[in-house]
Amino acid sequence: MGTLVTLNIVLPWVAALIIFLAKKDVITNFLTFLMLPILMLTAYLAYIQPHPALIETPKWVDLAITIYDFGLLAYFFYQGVIRKNVLITVLATIQIVFLIIVLLMMNHSLTPNIYVDNITLMFYLIVAIVGVPIAIFATKYMDYGEKGKHSFVAIVVWFLGVMNFAVSVNNIEWFFALFETTTLASYVMIGFRGDKEAINNSNLALWMNQIGGIAILIALMIFVKIDGFYHFTDLLSHPENVSMAALGFLSLSALVKGAQMPFHKWLLGAMVAPTPVSAILHSATMVKIAPYLILRIAPVIKGTLLAKLLIITTGYVFVVAAIIALTQDNFKKILAYSTISLLGLMMLAAAVGTPIAVTASLILIIFHAFAKGFLFVEAGVLEKVFHVKYINQMRRLIEKAPLTLMFIFFGFLNMTFVPFGTFIGKWMMIEEVSNFLQHGSYILLILYVGAGSAFLSILYMKVLGISVRKAHGIKKTSFVKLPKTFNFVSVWYYVWLLAITVFIAPFIAEFVVPIAKSIAGEPEIYATGLTLHMYNSTLYFWQIFGALILLLLIHVLPYFVKFKADVVHPYNCGENFPRHMETWNFECLAKYEGYFVAFSIALFIMVVVLGGGLL
Amino acid sequence: MINVILTILAPLLGGVVYGLERVVKARMQRRVGPPLLQPFYDFFKLMDKRPIMIHSLHALMGIMYFIAEWFALAVLLLGNDLLIAVFFHVIAVLALVIGASSVRSPYSVLGALRELMHMISYEPLMVLMVVALYLVIGSFDIRDVLSYEGYPVLEIPLVFFAFLLTIPMMLQKSPFDIAEAHQEIIGGPEIEYSGPFYEALYTGKWIEYIYVFTFVFLFGGSHYWLGALLVVIAFLFVNLLDNSSARLDFRAMVRFAWAFLIPMAALNIILLALWQ
Repeated sequence: MGTLVTLNIVLPWVAALIIFLAKKDVITNFLTFLMLPILMLTAYLAYIQPHPALIETPKWVDLAITIYDFGLLAYFFYQGVIRKNVLITVLATIQIVFLIIVLLMMNHSLTPNIYVDNITLMFYLIVAIVGVPIAIFATKYMDYGEKGKHSFVAIVVWFLGVMNFAVSVNNIEWFFALFETTTLASYVMIGFRGDKEAINNSNLALWMNQIGGIAILIALMIFVKIDGFYHFTDLLSHPENVSMAALGFLSLSALVKGAQMPFHKWLLGAMVAPTPVSAILHSATMVKIAPYLILRIAPVIKGTLLAKLLIITTGYVFVVAAIIALTQDNFKKILAYSTISLLGLMMLAAAVGTPIAVTASLILIIFHAFAKGFLFVEAGVLEKVFHVKYINQMRRLIEKAPLTLMFIFFGFLNMTFVPFGTFIGKWMMIEEVSNFLQHGSYILLILYVGAGSAFLSILYMKVLGISVRKAHGIKKTSFVKLPKTFNFVSVWYYVWLLAITVFIAPFIAEFVVPIAKSIAGEPEIYATGLTLHMYNSTLYFWQIFGALILLLLIHVLPYFVKFKADVVHPYNCGENFPRHMETWNFECLAKYEGYFVAFSIALFIMVVVLGGGLL
Repeated sequence: MINVILTILAPLLGGVVYGLERVVKARMQRRVGPPLLQPFYDFFKLMDKRPIMIHSLHALMGIMYFIAEWFALAVLLLGNDLLIAVFFHVIAVLALVIGASSVRSPYSVLGALRELMHMISYEPLMVLMVVALYLVIGSFDIRDVLSYEGYPVLEIPLVFFAFLLTIPMMLQKSPFDIAEAHQEIIGGPEIEYSGPFYEALYTGKWIEYIYVFTFVFLFGGSHYWLGALLVVIAFLFVNLLDNSSARLDFRAMVRFAWAFLIPMAALNIILLALWQ
């Protein structure tokens, strides 16, 4: 197990280093492609090993990580100085001071520093299957008039290694180091283009994420001072005497990393970077640390005031981010808001912490990773090949870019419609919450889930609506030839999503349920054949197939079906046709954005102050 | 068995309901109205017409709407989870919206966008209604609901009332016939369909009648006479409302749903949960 975990972590780092140093097209392309089978194999081999496993590390690693920590913070400090950003400098200084205090306080612990369990292994698989194709995509994307292809691909690949490392650590001090490393990686990637906007947004990402880092350090101080331990496993084995304040700060760092309001701006800022950056931040890495962290501490915080406040906050973000997304006109921004929204739902489900809710959270994490990676890859194709960035440019996309639109359509279907994973997550949440209702609480939660999913549905339908618009009659749709790499990545995601959806019942029962079981106990979910059962409810296989076939027909059939009927112009009551038709921009909602954010700040403070018991 | 028959015969039955509605509406306006089977006469006439379309995508979505609507009803009647049936209805809305947005006709596109506003108004309420039924009965299974000994409508009267006011939104009745709005946007999503393709859309609407009134019927529990009575009351109420009210703005509809209906249903659920 130890070797496999090391391989999973180190291989991307090594590959990234080689790519970075070689700076040759052949090596970059070949090595990135090679990472796909290799990482899938190592992740799979690790998955079939007995787990959970605690792995001892040599002493020098601990020392190296501490030194690395200081190096990293010094780098942040330096960046703050040369970019003349006081906030970054001050936050870096605070972190350095806190880190020193933590190190002085910390006594030696015998608990191993690496802990690999189901969740970790799930993330290995996600990183391998969802993350690596994005790096492959980046190798071609960067050929379209972007500078610094090799260093960029190297950073993307390295990021995957960082993510693998971050989800396997047990020591919270190490976790801090990797948390800040992901911050560094996102900082470098967001600022990659080096223009003014990129620099500003990368600064924003840096200081916001540093707040998360400070929160972890404070949590660490409290853990060490009050409880005397600082490992996740120790935390879980002594749930009764864990300090709530520390958990409050830990969840605060999760909220920051998960770009929950009011800290959502950094994730939106990430869209100025090349599109693979957004793809990787949104799907397999970075923001997924947030639900991961909540899942880690879920058994401890379950049922506490902190969990309830987290539910209120993240549920609020789930709904409000979906509403704000309606007012946006930039395609990548719309996707970003829907990520923020769904991250809220994931964390909400994790914070509820019952077996079924945890299952729902895991399903959402997996499917969101696939669907968002997919959608952002398509957004990159749109941007580079078709020069489309805004939804009003997406007019008549069905004629201009039929294949890409088909993929986007499928991605959107995955985010909300019936047989797909995201729907199953929501369905489980509503059923689970209905059970709680017997106690008269959680009515808010049902409203959150019901309203949020409705808003997200109309968001996707709105975007799809504008892109399927056609001219009169049937013009020949023009198939633009796309690069092989793009097609490979798109088809890769498409096939995976389709395969998992067809076998969703056994997938959930065989793969997700054991993970949820190790976190929160046995959920009452099982599969018979392709039918999914939960409590007394059943999602029959004919329903899954029926919905899947209906939706496949809706998004694929238009390209194949040609009715033999006479074609006429739209009737339109005989009036003139407008040159352009736009879509609603929901201006009436845009003016509330300030209020929404203000309220989220209040909720955010409540989580820390009340949830952490600081009052 | 009866639900299989009901599912298969849904288009026929929906047509009869629609015909009945036209008769009832006419009588309320002191007209004679069309014969009961007028929708079927229309059906045969439309099927006989020369098929004309804008483009295949548009025509196809009309047919998909019909199939999705029928399938949603099948899920409601033959499945065992009401919640899933609610979400299946969204697929039908998707087909309708995609079809309507795909043509270059402002009426159709506007109708599609308004259809989304309808969805945002009724969908959370449908979820709340199903959850309220769960709270009363303890199961999402339609068979359990139909064998429940008590009277759901008496335990969740506010939810029932809220749903009663939601029916006009789902069936495009005044004051909430905003997406169709015949005098304003000439039928919205329907305007560009013709001949057999329009017939598909038209029949889809009939099935929606059955879909909606099945939910009303559930409020009777195992007392089928009560369920039937509720369906009749709801039917008459909706038609009366349709005849006696003017169309509202879509903002008013969304505001009404979110500021009045949803809080009302939520209040009922909270009270019930505390009562238990």
